[in-house]
Amino acid sequence: MDIQFALETFWSLLSALPLTLKLAATSIALGSVLALGLALARLSGNLALDLFARAYVFLFRGTPLLVQIFLIYYGLSQFPAVRHSIFWPLLREPYWCAVLALMLNTAAYASEIIRGGLLSVPHGQVEAARACGMGRFMIFRRIVMPQALRQALPGYGNEMISMVKATSLASIITLMEITGVAAKIISESYRVIEVFVVAGVIYLAINFALTRLVAFAEHRLNPQLRPPLPISAELKGEAH
Amino acid sequence: MNMSAAVTAPVAIRVHDLHKSFGPVEVLKGVSLDAREGEVISILGSSGSGKSTLLRCINMLEVPNSGTIEVAGEAIRLKTLSDGRSRPADQKQVDRIRSELGMVFQSFNLWSHKTVLENVIEAPVHVLKRPRAEAIEEAEALLAKVGIADKRNHYPSHVSGGQQQRAAIARALAMRPKAMLFDEPTSALDPELVGEVLRVMRGLAEEGRTMLVVTHEMGFARDVSSRVVFVHKGTIEEEGPPDEVFTRSRSERFRQFIKS
Repeated sequence: MDIQFALETFWSLLSALPLTLKLAATSIALGSVLALGLALARLSGNLALDLFARAYVFLFRGTPLLVQIFLIYYGLSQFPAVRHSIFWPLLREPYWCAVLALMLNTAAYASEIIRGGLLSVPHGQVEAARACGMGRFMIFRRIVMPQALRQALPGYGNEMISMVKATSLASIITLMEITGVAAKIISESYRVIEVFVVAGVIYLAINFALTRLVAFAEHRLNPQLRPPLPISAELKGEAH
Repeated sequence: MNMSAAVTAPVAIRVHDLHKSFGPVEVLKGVSLDAREGEVISILGSSGSGKSTLLRCINMLEVPNSGTIEVAGEAIRLKTLSDGRSRPADQKQVDRIRSELGMVFQSFNLWSHKTVLENVIEAPVHVLKRPRAEAIEEAEALLAKVGIADKRNHYPSHVSGGQQQRAAIARALAMRPKAMLFDEPTSALDPELVGEVLRVMRGLAEEGRTMLVVTHEMGFARDVSSRVVFVHKGTIEEEGPPDEVFTRSRSERFRQFIKS
């Protein structure tokens, strides 16, 4: 392994890091909104909404992400209606096609994670909130959602890591993110090992940071799981 | 409490001809009950008799199939859906009336992501829109009253069952309710923790609070309540002041019930 070459490669690949992060962040953010909608649809008690969400999850979880990317990038443009729609300026960009595919895909998985979180909140706590005169929206916002998020966070961390790695598929549709740049360097240098090891290290570093971030969020959001403050500390707090 | 005053005091909660079915099972078969202000009514009955359902219908945690509920003279309006079930006609009215009734549950149902103090101020601040500082002040007084002021910054999972239930009572009291509903408040507690909760409830009764208590605690029913109601198979089988019904009940079933 040529360390000098690997270092050069590292700097080249680092220039592609912002695109990888942008792809991941945008699709995770948009996907989480869609996922919440899907989870609520599943739990709405409305048969039509429930069936729609089930069909959606079945479809997007059951087909490969790569197939979805191809369908969106190569497939959508076949329809004149799409080409003449207001979405065309976005859909003709490979970046937005990748974001759309990643987002639709992650929403399917994340909706199940969020649904699990929502179902984990004990019904008695909802009942207690109702008995206090809280309305549905307030109960959701103040009682259910904070606890569902905490419950969903470990699973959601997994899904976010998957998404970071899945952005590498965007290289197939010409996007020059980390894997795209790596493939290009290999086609010029034929040094597969150095380039892909360096690419792998960068993904590892991103996911290490992400894991720490999720762990930190988990720690901050779950004060009730930490041991209670010792009495003496509390009393000291009072004296001031 | 003064018994003769209870007879003339205004009606706090009126239940009239309440029917409730779960699927094909009719749980309440026409129950009527008046609770006057300051009364402490113990609702007794074996499991499955419908006593908890009766209590839960009062604040619409269960919606009755027919019958009326009045709280402080105001009837809760119900509507019948096309499939025959009934629903509150005005959810805002139900929410408002619920905020005027304090409810204490068998399994405490404290919000586990909030500290004891946060549990107590949650509804006063967000439902009643009271200033936060004022709510905290009142909450601390209530927590002192139920004897857990030192636990105010603990999360529910860090305190005992008895302390959780006393926090839940403080949470209900913080709404300054017109009446308190207790749904088997000591049934989920270890025997040695029952006493501390009953003591708090006894204190509330002595303050002259209107209380409806579904319970298995015969001692509480006998000593603290002003009236005992015995529910059997969805109807009120026996009803009266405790010293009367416990000594000379006309109901054979009630005599059997208190013997066991």
